Amino acid sequence: MDLEIQQRVKDLAEKYGPENIVVLLGGAEAEAAGLSAETVTAGDPTYAGPLAGVSLGLRVYHVLEDDVKKEYDPKVYDEQCSMMEMVLDVDAIVKEVKPIRDQYCKYL
Amino acid sequence: MFRVVHYINQFFGQIGGEDKAGIGPQVKEGIVGPGMALKQALKDEAQIVATVICGDSYFNENIEKAKAEILDMIRKYSPDIFIAGPAFNAGRYGVACGTICKAVKEELGIPAVTGMYIENPGADMFKKDIYIISTRNSAVGMRDAVPKMAKLAVKLAKGYDIGSPSEEFYIERGIRKNYFAQYRGSKRAVDMLVKKIRGEAFKTEYSMPTFDRVKPNPPVLDISKAVVALVTSGGIVPKGNPDRIESSSASKFGKYSIEGVLDLTENEYQTAHGGYDPVYANQDADRVLPVDVMREFEREGVIGKLHNYYYATVGNGTSVANAKKYGAKIAAELKNDGVDAVILTST
Repeated sequence: MDLEIQQRVKDLAEKYGPENIVVLLGGAEAEAAGLSAETVTAGDPTYAGPLAGVSLGLRVYHVLEDDVKKEYDPKVYDEQCSMMEMVLDVDAIVKEVKPIRDQYCKYL
Repeated sequence: MFRVVHYINQFFGQIGGEDKAGIGPQVKEGIVGPGMALKQALKDEAQIVATVICGDSYFNENIEKAKAEILDMIRKYSPDIFIAGPAFNAGRYGVACGTICKAVKEELGIPAVTGMYIENPGADMFKKDIYIISTRNSAVGMRDAVPKMAKLAVKLAKGYDIGSPSEEFYIERGIRKNYFAQYRGSKRAVDMLVKKIRGEAFKTEYSMPTFDRVKPNPPVLDISKAVVALVTSGGIVPKGNPDRIESSSASKFGKYSIEGVLDLTENEYQTAHGGYDPVYANQDADRVLPVDVMREFEREGVIGKLHNYYYATVGNGTSVANAKKYGAKIAAELKNDGVDAVILTST
């Protein structure tokens, strides 16, 4: 997750309280999604950004996960995400993101 | 408890990216960035007393000066261990880590460890002199690399025997050590040969070094009649980067017509490269791909003709294997098109 976005997530968490924030990831790759999920929960695993050593423990989901799908307007989802759902390896993404959420999220 | 000084670049020092790569060395007491991971891995065996941060460009443009400045900083903290990086596949960072580790080891007599991806140019330059833990090619490998670096560093500080590269995860240094084997040499050799004949996997006891030597071509007979092409790894592309060449780890190269183009202007060309400050290349792409000068040469008859196409890719983090593949393809096309000579420009 790039350094500016880390800073923005950090600022938003400070402003609104980490318990009030949900991070939705859109990354196309399982490993990248996992890294982003780790960054906003346990802290930046590359130790390069503002979230290095900062465990925000935010709720984090990939946009294609079933756990959050029911929250969407199906029409919008169909328009924006259904194509990508067919193309991407959703199982691999969930396998990366879910364990990280279960382990590090403080607000489940 | 051992005292550790840690060296990192401006990026991991959380000062900034390429725009801050020119900063000179500075010391911060205690840990910064990856030092957090290192601290966990060192447990209570060692403590990071200071972190030296230096911009990658500053270091590589002023190697001797930077080396002396940094050694002075390190000396002040009288550490028992010096750890640099890990640098993963960042070339200038790798060279900085290697240079400093070697100097600390040889001039201060302090054990030094760093970490790099096997293709980092710094790995080849310094693997004989120092211990370089073999890492993945990006910071994704931080969690894996740091404990290995910490473990080896503490072992060195304690004066313990260091095991083989595969046991300690460092890049082979080309050092041979005697040991008592279970079977004599002739039996081991025959066993290996039998495996080889059967097509089974076997592990050599003495891997041959690989030399990547490129024979220079014969000189161009008459440059004033030659068709000369420009090829760059500096990422110069038509504005908007139509082929979407990646700013790092490029997965492709581009081929672009410069027929009738006398000068690369700010409005029509830019760089796609993410590994150097792009401001000056974007202002005037001729600084990386000198079309303007080549046109002058063409007019003055210094060269025969500038080839109608140039080729570009981004060298930043691009694997050697991919770079070779692009090079071979580009060379084959240029030969087909009757090009006599090529000028390669980097960044």
